[in-house]
Amino acid sequence: MTFAPSTSTSAAVRTSHAAVRPTHRPGMTDLMRGEWTKLKSLRSTWWSLATMIVLSLGFTIAACAVYTSKFQHLDASTQTEFRQDTIGLILQPGVQFASLAVCVLGAMLIAGEYSTGMIRATMLAEPRRTRALLAKAGTFALFMYVVSEMVAIPAFFIGSAITRSHASVSITDPTTIRAILLFGVFMAAMGLIALSIGALVRHTAAAVTIVLALQFVLPGVLSLIPGSAGEHLSNALPQGASVIVSSGHNLSNVYSPAQAGLILLGWVVVLGGVALAAVKRRDV
Amino acid sequence: MTENAANLTHHHTEPAPAIEAHGLTKSYGRKTVVDGLTFQVHAGRVTGFLGPNGAGKSTTMRLLLGLERSDSGTALINGKPYAALTAPLSHVGALLEAKAFHKGRSARNHLLALAQSQALPVSRVDEVLDVVGLHDVAKNRAGGYSLGMAQRLGIAAALLGDPRIVLLDEPVNGLDPEGVFWIRNLMKRLAAEGRAVLVSSHLMNEMAVTADHLLVIGRGRLLADCTTAEFIERHTDPAVYAATPAVARPALLEEAFMRLTAGAVEYSAR
Repeated sequence: MTFAPSTSTSAAVRTSHAAVRPTHRPGMTDLMRGEWTKLKSLRSTWWSLATMIVLSLGFTIAACAVYTSKFQHLDASTQTEFRQDTIGLILQPGVQFASLAVCVLGAMLIAGEYSTGMIRATMLAEPRRTRALLAKAGTFALFMYVVSEMVAIPAFFIGSAITRSHASVSITDPTTIRAILLFGVFMAAMGLIALSIGALVRHTAAAVTIVLALQFVLPGVLSLIPGSAGEHLSNALPQGASVIVSSGHNLSNVYSPAQAGLILLGWVVVLGGVALAAVKRRDV
Repeated sequence: MTENAANLTHHHTEPAPAIEAHGLTKSYGRKTVVDGLTFQVHAGRVTGFLGPNGAGKSTTMRLLLGLERSDSGTALINGKPYAALTAPLSHVGALLEAKAFHKGRSARNHLLALAQSQALPVSRVDEVLDVVGLHDVAKNRAGGYSLGMAQRLGIAAALLGDPRIVLLDEPVNGLDPEGVFWIRNLMKRLAAEGRAVLVSSHLMNEMAVTADHLLVIGRGRLLADCTTAEFIERHTDPAVYAATPAVARPALLEEAFMRLTAGAVEYSAR
């Protein structure tokens, strides 16, 4: 493949018109615009999202169909749960699959910058590391929110249509609206947690493994601890906060949506703070 | 005019150095990698940064760019620490290592993201792609690039903000003769345009024909800071120097360098 660089001595690096200067003092918006270009220019972003949407909606349909067709065979307490917190049940499969995709993508995005050396370009473009990380985190969180709602809203309409014969859930019910809107918040929080772990570990495979273990393995392990201690610990992990994506009427949940929301916020803030401190202190 | 007055006049009219290091020191554990480095790099010339492997060249560049924090001393770019620069890529461009970008992204998107972060006009991306000759392959994923193309992408990123200062860390490593020739001429062109070019290398013959000024370090310490011609004159065997015609003296750089740094090589073969 031939390519012709400018070798003539008259071709200046700067073309003949005026010197190139930034059009304005770059701010957070400009940093986020750059992060958005980085995010959307990777094929892995779009593959992860396609998988996320297809699996989430697919399993939502499957789960709702099974619950509905087998309703008579469910025991009484499950039937009550179904009716009390239909929206929670409808959105659960989506929560599981979407958070899986979000976690992998978040860990990959930041660990990938370290493993490819791209992080140096990022830090040269913005040497104030807190701002650089916040721009990346903010862009990713917003993007995850929007895409997650593209899962949650269809899941609601399809799922509620399937389950209508046994339990009706109305879009005008405030707890329903809240659950749908918090679906995206939950995903954004998962994404931020994955980003933080990725920034701490800086190695893609290790980061993905640790994030997935935290989200999908550790809850099960902790719940083996006998008594209510096991339940409380297991549900205090980030994945336990998925209860915010529900109507809140299911009283058998260990934490209320409000409590779970606070726990989730705590995870995001603490892990984010530790990650920021590490990034600022370390050599790049 | 008295000597003092002459000195004062000289300092007032000399422009501020593009890069200034003062007592720069960095250690990893007990190993001191950069030891009290003090030097200036000026615009309008190519300054070669020479030293054996492990001498601290790359670390020094990373300290200048704020990628690492020094233990003591200061590093200033246009009179400020790197972190205090607004839109830093419009002040300094750096090529530190080959292929330091995401394999799955196209060259165009890599440069576009950088340009956007500095609020640079998007047209600048196509401009630098033309300058480095990657325009035809700009939309391909960078992972498929050869080393030469990857170096050109790195240089495009360094030149994106039209910076007055350019730092290149061993830019010709692994390039074919055409690539070496191109980079040499590029650096000379950049210096002729009034930019400050700091290029680290351990290829003596290349530096002999490219660099106007030399900074030589060994084991983290500054060993020489003078023009290339002066360096060759001071450190070559006097008999050899006298016997070499002026036009061939650049070829003596290698020998001069070896004589100066013989004691400063970290790992030498027997």
